Amino acid sequence: MSNPDFEQQLKKQIDQLSQSTAPNRDLWPGIEMAISREQSTKPRPYWAIAAGVAMLCGVGWMTLQMDPTVSANKNLVVVLSAQHQQQMQALMVSYQDQPALTDNWQQQLQQLDEAALAIKKALQQEPQNVALLKMLQQVHQQQIDLIEKVHSPKWQQI
Amino acid sequence: MTTTATIIAAEQTFDAEQRLIIRAKAGDKLAFEQLYQRYVGMVYSLCLRLMVDRSLAEDATQEVFIQLWRKLDNFQGNSKFSTWLHSVTSNVAISYLRKQRGWLQRMFTLEQTEVMQHVAEASTDQVDLDAYIKRLPERARIVFVLHAIEGYRYEEIAGLTNMAVGSSKAQFHRAKQLLQEWMGYE
Repeated sequence: MSNPDFEQQLKKQIDQLSQSTAPNRDLWPGIEMAISREQSTKPRPYWAIAAGVAMLCGVGWMTLQMDPTVSANKNLVVVLSAQHQQQMQALMVSYQDQPALTDNWQQQLQQLDEAALAIKKALQQEPQNVALLKMLQQVHQQQIDLIEKVHSPKWQQI
Repeated sequence: MTTTATIIAAEQTFDAEQRLIIRAKAGDKLAFEQLYQRYVGMVYSLCLRLMVDRSLAEDATQEVFIQLWRKLDNFQGNSKFSTWLHSVTSNVAISYLRKQRGWLQRMFTLEQTEVMQHVAEASTDQVDLDAYIKRLPERARIVFVLHAIEGYRYEEIAGLTNMAVGSSKAQFHRAKQLLQEWMGYE
């Protein structure tokens, strides 16, 4: 059985409840990061598609031109490296106004550069080694992923 | 302040808010940040009452504003923005809570333990209502907050929490019984 005094007291206390409480930490940076990412991902596909098409055309052209000679494979490495540099430059330009999440990303990029250089040296010794070529492409992709991740981290889905 | 001056001030606030909403809908992040500054306290307050845990409530508050950014176009101005935002907050917070710790497990396993613990801690000392609400078992707390404080109907609560209408009424009754006991009215 409900007590009338209790009902009255409860109503009074509900009316007095605070409707606003400040959180302990600033929540805006996380929100801004998430919504900025959504905005920045919209225009990107156009140039990303263009870069992808250009790369495919380049590789395709090289494949058509290529005969199984050492010099052709060396050219392929040169073309791949040049296209990778262009793609990296385009990415850097698109993210130049966005702060990076980590301080040491350029150091990580440098380490990947050194890895790519080592693979290219190995390719000079073994120009027809397909495994080395794949490894070089993977390192290039890791560099692209690194730049994207530190500038536009994926918001954790909750 | 006179009544006229109060009405004018309220209209100016309303107009300013409408402008912010229109700008935010057009993708203006600065306007959206101003809306955030206006309403973060209200959103966090509701999330905290529903979730109790500060860290969870902060995460849910962020999720509310991210969802708000995506769904702002859905706000047609048929109700007050704050009313609409309350509704968005309740939906997101309940959904977030459900995903976080396994809704069924929390509802049917932990609840009994919570009640025993809370009964043991009951006291007649003067404590503010928010402190008592935090001590309520989760299901009773959610129904109490939504019905008694936010003004939701039992049918709406049932839809929101996936429980039967009768269960939501029973949980509200249970919450009131516990509050009555803790506030020393028995």
